[in-house]
Amino acid sequence: MEEVPIIDMKGIVKIYPDGTKALKGVDFSVKQGEIHGLLGENGAGKTTLMKILSGMLPPTEGKIYVKGREVQFKSPADALANGIGMVHQHFTLVEVFDALHNIILGMEGHGHFSKIDVDNARKKLQKLMDELNFQVPLDVPVENLPVGVQQRIEILKVLYRNVDVLILDEPTAVLTPIEVKELFDVLRTLKEQGKTIIFISHKLREVMEITDRVTVLRKGEVIGTVNTSEATPQLLARMMVGRDVVLRIQKPPKEPGEPILRVENLWVKGDRGEDAVKGLSFEVRAGEIFGIAGVEGNGQTELIEAITGLRKIEKGKIILNGKDITGRPPKELYNLGVAHIPEDRTHMGLILDMTVAENAVLGLHWREEFTGILNSIRWSNVKEHAKKLIEKFDIVAPGVDAPVKSLSGGNQQKLIVAREVSKNPELIVASQPTRGVDVASTEYIRNYLVKLRNENKAVLLVSADLDEVLQLSDRMAIMYEGQFVGIVKPEEVTEEQIGLMMGGIKDES
Amino acid sequence: MKADKLSNIMKPLLESLIAIIIGVVIGAVVLKVSGYSPVEAYAALVKGAVGSIYGWSMTLSSATPIILTGLTFAISARTGIFNIGAEGTVYFGAIAAIVFTNMFANPVLGLIGGIIAGILWALPAALLKVYRGVHEVISTIMLNWIAFYTALYLVLGPLANPNDPNKTLEVPASARLPLLMKGSELSLAFIIAIVAAVITYYILWHTVLGFELRASGYNERAAQYGGINPKRAIIWSFVIGGIMSGLAGATEVMGRPPSYAISQGMANIYGYGFDGIGVSLVGRNHPIGIIFSGIFFGALKAGATYMQIDAGVPLEMVKVVQGIIVVAVAVPGLWDLVKKVVRR
Repeated sequence: MEEVPIIDMKGIVKIYPDGTKALKGVDFSVKQGEIHGLLGENGAGKTTLMKILSGMLPPTEGKIYVKGREVQFKSPADALANGIGMVHQHFTLVEVFDALHNIILGMEGHGHFSKIDVDNARKKLQKLMDELNFQVPLDVPVENLPVGVQQRIEILKVLYRNVDVLILDEPTAVLTPIEVKELFDVLRTLKEQGKTIIFISHKLREVMEITDRVTVLRKGEVIGTVNTSEATPQLLARMMVGRDVVLRIQKPPKEPGEPILRVENLWVKGDRGEDAVKGLSFEVRAGEIFGIAGVEGNGQTELIEAITGLRKIEKGKIILNGKDITGRPPKELYNLGVAHIPEDRTHMGLILDMTVAENAVLGLHWREEFTGILNSIRWSNVKEHAKKLIEKFDIVAPGVDAPVKSLSGGNQQKLIVAREVSKNPELIVASQPTRGVDVASTEYIRNYLVKLRNENKAVLLVSADLDEVLQLSDRMAIMYEGQFVGIVKPEEVTEEQIGLMMGGIKDES
Repeated sequence: MKADKLSNIMKPLLESLIAIIIGVVIGAVVLKVSGYSPVEAYAALVKGAVGSIYGWSMTLSSATPIILTGLTFAISARTGIFNIGAEGTVYFGAIAAIVFTNMFANPVLGLIGGIIAGILWALPAALLKVYRGVHEVISTIMLNWIAFYTALYLVLGPLANPNDPNKTLEVPASARLPLLMKGSELSLAFIIAIVAAVITYYILWHTVLGFELRASGYNERAAQYGGINPKRAIIWSFVIGGIMSGLAGATEVMGRPPSYAISQGMANIYGYGFDGIGVSLVGRNHPIGIIFSGIFFGALKAGATYMQIDAGVPLEMVKVVQGIIVVAVAVPGLWDLVKKVVRR
């Protein structure tokens, strides 16, 4: 006799307005009082599924049952009313408010001018904290509190709304190891008190440690649900990344040449001041694609920004063709033969309000061919250049004077690639070069990166798309928490090994 | 593509036109309610501003300083900066021109004095912004007050005219800008403002510097990625803006009869910096648009006198109507700016 699951999602399909099929008919059920892991790579659909469950997104198709009763959520408030609350990866706290006011925010009372009953709220919160056996300072502005404490405030905020099911999206991503341990203690306490917890993660070790059951998602589909006690990291890794190999890129064997880029013991801080890159050393040689795989947020962005002159380097050296380029500004790096395809196409790679022509020379606009006397711009040459790029890369654009935002995502990305290649670089740093790009453009860009490699350029590729890294790289590293778990040749590793490494476990066998 | 370009110019023009009509209509209602004849009042305004050669000369000479201060606001807005420090810069431009012309009795050196003062007074806000992250709105507002009282001290003290208690030392006759029309207030200063607008346009759209300013203004992060130093861009935009406002002050005292000096309470150089913001917004922060919107503002100023004399509308009411028209006309430009700021 099967008890009625507290959460039962049936045949959930989610198609985003841009046509992306994020979920392809997912069945997902959670038992009362368990900690249920939701495991998968980037883009597997974990967060989308949980946003649907917490009322933030409507499903395109499918039904949701809570304790056997069908529900339809129009907003997070509906989900909360049904006892479901989510703690997001990016906190939603008002930084200058203290914990108390953050927690009661939105439930102050009725009417705009009614008095907030702070004392009563404080009593209720104190009682809640005593029950849960964890404390947070209620009167300190949250911006002055460590991240781990802020997260507890987020959890309290949800529990204060009397939820039975707590969804945590990648809760350990921002925590130190000690904070992770403390979080797990809190989760165990909550479980003892009968709460149900859904734990979204890509970290195998954590899923193995804290969960009772695990559901693995891959590319919008459920691969399976297993009891954690019966699972092994190897099994989960295989479920997470196992895949059919899609179109293979033609890549002739090639003996790499001299090292072009050398990174030595590089330390870089992230936006919050944490160590994002922790003592990395590697080199990229001429005629080689060096790929970096890994779940996003493990320091890849900071690494790329440091190499391309956009982020301060705390310690270590970057050497290009034997020349120390540590801390040099982008302009100097471009003049020395670096090209950069940035991960954020619309906010960094292009200036959307400027024209195609203007964007076609961004980062090389100072070159002699484009400038005349008194540093004037020779627009005829600029437009000529833009036309050449459009022609050579088959970019669909209404004209060189059209604003670049009128181009489709794929064509925008092709324009960036075209521009960067036109710098005639020796090192191409490509970060998520095909993200959000249509299939045809993706193939074009991938083939072009291989062409550059065949022309003896050095290519540093960072991608969250594991297929891309596997197919293109001559050597690849798997990055995890600011370090490389290993550097391998794609053809010499199994998917299981890569999955383990992406989850932070180095397979010694 | 050609049609695109045309509509790019036509759309703001049409919007401005509609805004002017709306402003005029609301102004008419206010006049009517207050017991004045709108037809008579507007007829006087138009006649005074553009009804005669003399009217035109008043319109254009009134437009001169606000075209220049409009350029200050425009070049900073194009760089993503909200520089409202033109006001204070005008004072020092005027003071420097008086000092320089009294020392050298040469118009060119007078203008150069104004430019130097403009640059120097623009730099504090620029450097505070770039190196200390002080928001330019805060710093320029405060610097405006510092400028006001410092200038007032200089006007009343060291530069006071020993022969005329109502104003400062005069710009000597040999250093004054030649008049374009005998008996009018229209001098070479107007030509200087037009040339300045054309140069600003050229810098923004035909030089590497302008490209970098605009790129930083649209998207600082992308500009930085594009090998541009946004800090450098910000400093340049303040410096060029300072030059324009410094020139506004200098040309006002060197080319505006009859006083050729700063009046005791600085009334004759007060307010141009703030007017420039409106001029720039109406001109859509475009140097060529600013020439036209500057002339429009100048016409309102020149015509206001006649509204008072011919139609018997009191000065206060004239200012109300003027204000209504200006606000209505500035709305589309302001709206663009707000959208841009909100988008960030």
